[in-house]
Amino acid sequence: MSGIASRVLGLFAIFVCLVAPASAAEPLITTIDRLITTHAVGAKQTISPPASDSEFLRRVYLDFTGRIPTLTEAKTFLNNPSATKRNQLIDSLIDGPEFGPHMANVMHIALMERLGDNALWLEYLSQSFTQNKPWDKMVRDMLWSNPADQSTQGAAFFLSKRLENYGQNPVDYSGLTRDVGRLFLGKNLGCAECHDHLFIEDYKQAHFQGLHTFLKNSYLVNANPPTVGEKPTTAKTAFASVFTKKEKLTAPALPGGEMVEIPAFKKGDEYLVAPDKKAKTPGQLKFSPLKTLSEMLPTASNREFVQTSANRFWFILMGRGLIHPLDLSHSRNPASHPQVLDAITDAFADHQFDVKWLLKQLARTQAYQRSSALPAGVTDADAKLFTTALERRLSAEQLAASVLTAIGEKPSAALTKKFVKAYANQAREPEDEFTPSLQGALFVLHDNSVLKLLEPKSGNLVGRVSALTDHQKIAEELYLAILTRQPTAEETQMVSTILSKHSQDRVTAVKNIAWALLASMEFMVNH
Amino acid sequence: MPRHPLCTPVDHRLSRRQLFGTVAAGGIASLGLGALATPILAEALRKQRKQVLFVWTDGGMSQLESWDPKPNTTFGGPFRAIPTNVPGIHISETLPQSAQIMDKLTIVRSVRTQDNSHSAGVARIQRGDPKNRGVVYPYFGSAVAKWLGAGDSGLPPYVWIKPGSGGFIYKDAGFLGPKYGALALGDGKPPENLIRPDSLSVADAEERDLLRKLADQRYTTGRRPENTEANSFAFEMAGQLQKRMELFDESKVPEKELDRYGRNEFGRHMLLARRLLEAGVTFVKVASYGWDTHGDHFNGAANLHPKFDRAFAAIVSDLAERGLLESTLVIAMSEFGRTPRINGHIGRDHWPEAWSVAMAGLGLKPGIVVGKTNDKGTDVATEPYDIGHLFHTWFTALGIDPTDHEYRNGGQPLPIAHEEMKRIDEALA
Repeated sequence: MSGIASRVLGLFAIFVCLVAPASAAEPLITTIDRLITTHAVGAKQTISPPASDSEFLRRVYLDFTGRIPTLTEAKTFLNNPSATKRNQLIDSLIDGPEFGPHMANVMHIALMERLGDNALWLEYLSQSFTQNKPWDKMVRDMLWSNPADQSTQGAAFFLSKRLENYGQNPVDYSGLTRDVGRLFLGKNLGCAECHDHLFIEDYKQAHFQGLHTFLKNSYLVNANPPTVGEKPTTAKTAFASVFTKKEKLTAPALPGGEMVEIPAFKKGDEYLVAPDKKAKTPGQLKFSPLKTLSEMLPTASNREFVQTSANRFWFILMGRGLIHPLDLSHSRNPASHPQVLDAITDAFADHQFDVKWLLKQLARTQAYQRSSALPAGVTDADAKLFTTALERRLSAEQLAASVLTAIGEKPSAALTKKFVKAYANQAREPEDEFTPSLQGALFVLHDNSVLKLLEPKSGNLVGRVSALTDHQKIAEELYLAILTRQPTAEETQMVSTILSKHSQDRVTAVKNIAWALLASMEFMVNH
Repeated sequence: MPRHPLCTPVDHRLSRRQLFGTVAAGGIASLGLGALATPILAEALRKQRKQVLFVWTDGGMSQLESWDPKPNTTFGGPFRAIPTNVPGIHISETLPQSAQIMDKLTIVRSVRTQDNSHSAGVARIQRGDPKNRGVVYPYFGSAVAKWLGAGDSGLPPYVWIKPGSGGFIYKDAGFLGPKYGALALGDGKPPENLIRPDSLSVADAEERDLLRKLADQRYTTGRRPENTEANSFAFEMAGQLQKRMELFDESKVPEKELDRYGRNEFGRHMLLARRLLEAGVTFVKVASYGWDTHGDHFNGAANLHPKFDRAFAAIVSDLAERGLLESTLVIAMSEFGRTPRINGHIGRDHWPEAWSVAMAGLGLKPGIVVGKTNDKGTDVATEPYDIGHLFHTWFTALGIDPTDHEYRNGGQPLPIAHEEMKRIDEALA
């Protein structure tokens, strides 16, 4: 081989090395970190150092149990010298009893967007995540499930809530179609209902109408629990763009997919089991568009579904989607790291939609385990590079559980409700970013239920800490219990100043310091 | 009246600074609310301050039953037109009190906008329907908050009085960022938990808040500051509102005024709007719901319009009497008008094609009607004006010339009003 040829080949080899997709042998974790690092180097962005044990500890507890660690849990982990303690903790929390209920809250907020609550629905989600039901099967249950099957009854809430009349308005079928597209296919087709999307070329009116045709004949059966019925679908949907007025027809179809053939039945012969209005049973159609949708949409061969799902789990742990916003996937809003998205999409399908497996992989990456502090000398970092951990919003449920954990009180549904009222977004507004809340500020400042938590009781935080006399010890206990870290020297000194100022009334000093830490930004976000 | 205990004298602030020494100094300087100006200076400043009252009749007020009547025509409906205090100008008999202040009003009868759906229309109109550049534009209230600032009222610059629930509606601000969002006073009431409970002493409340600020200052050092800044803003606003509790106390309002504005929801909200404008709030929006009269429209109008009329005429007269109208731009509008054609349910539907907007005050030529519709009111007969033209006109009236002001969104320059439209010179003083 001539010198030039070998040099060219050598360059080519380097090139291949830099951009080659993950080989089959490379573990997902390595692929993710290699690609993110390469991308950061290309963008000349310095990467933040790894999170400290304290930062990591708080993050994984919030992510996999929905609360901060207790004082004992924190001490146990921080004092554990094992080199593999991080992986052990990730596994034990994801396989632990709090994972299912917490993930149920996460998905409830993501999929229902505060439209309403339902105990069976939460129970369904909680059980499914605890038992690690594959994600495709969960989505299948949400889109259609046999009303007689008690194990999946709760899943119907995804549709049944959206089939309620909203005040005096009729059922918002357009909103239902938009939500199915947004949440499971990553496409907000809302602006393509009456014409092709005006500035997203990929979103066609036919996409909206095809998806709509799966859903438009469904209705709410107001039984207990509520179930979903369907009127027979016997013909294609006619639609026309408001601009061209040219009429088109569509059968049920996934966006960009083949139309489903609508079988012809004689009138009165459409049902396998006829609906019964008195017994409030929906019956069963011979051709059920919902059942067809549930079999077509959440499948490994539907790339849009797999990718949207993988992107959502990435978002849950990283604070930003690889495609962002999560529901605006189109060719002019590409993924920040297309190869990372491909890798997690492929892996999720290869592992049969195993949620626990995917989360364990993501939590082991350097990308997840980075500090949220910027690298020294850097004043900003582009969020989409994932070079510094992003601050993530805590849900009202996470906040309530964390406040109670810090104080040393048991979980309380009543208090959680108050937190939801103060911190949750309005219905239909995704809670996908940190937002300042005036109600929240006033709640933590003045609400009696918050102030009462600071009253000293035997065994609770303020009671226990007020009994201590050593200023250093008091500072350490407060910071570890609330912020899951040791205080800095400066902070210890400040605690001491306050304690000295209230030398006749240590309880007041402790209450004021504890309140300030609970109301602080460091407590309010997952960082 | 007892002084509010949270109005902290300056010396109190200093003593806290001494307590915390160097740790706190930076914190107070960078996070403090800024001392209130002395009352006399504040009064002088306030006189020069420009303000906006934005009255929003949600769902669409019918132009034919208000500013542009067409009696005895095909689509005119049953109501008559009445003369106003400006010779030659007639408006609908459903607005008798507004007719008596026509000399202060500027009516545009040639409005033609683009969207006939509520869901998109409300935001589209209030954001000024600029060219799409892939960014979310601010509502007019947020835009004015940005350009004119909060002033010295101690209240946020953009306050929205509305029926139903309240809260801080940061999404109105679009790319300007959450601090230009709207403080929404649900049912005209201050937000829940505004009052410090007696169990918490002033001294403890102050100490807690200072410690929180210090904690945030430490936390944000070396981190991206945006979220912490936004969160601090929520706490600052909470603090500011506590100091102005008296504004929300309706028991201090004379009975006579309640009668003049109307003892109904809209009347009470408009009266609160006047108190907030007097207190110096830059932009006050009052929303009234239920104007979407697709059915039984004329009975609906007979009920809704007099309530609007009474409160609208009262507030414009009061602002004029107090010398505030010359520094306050008043706008009354909806997301669209209503169809001339009367539907099968004796209703009028959504109609962006030809409708009217009423304005008054700062920078406008009073006592005139701009533009006209054809005889049946089905189309604009003169040059049609879109919301972009109105934005140009309003900004100009406020002294913010859209041809030499632009937004900067992360380096991207963005026009403040649709660049292919221009101001309505005829309407401007």
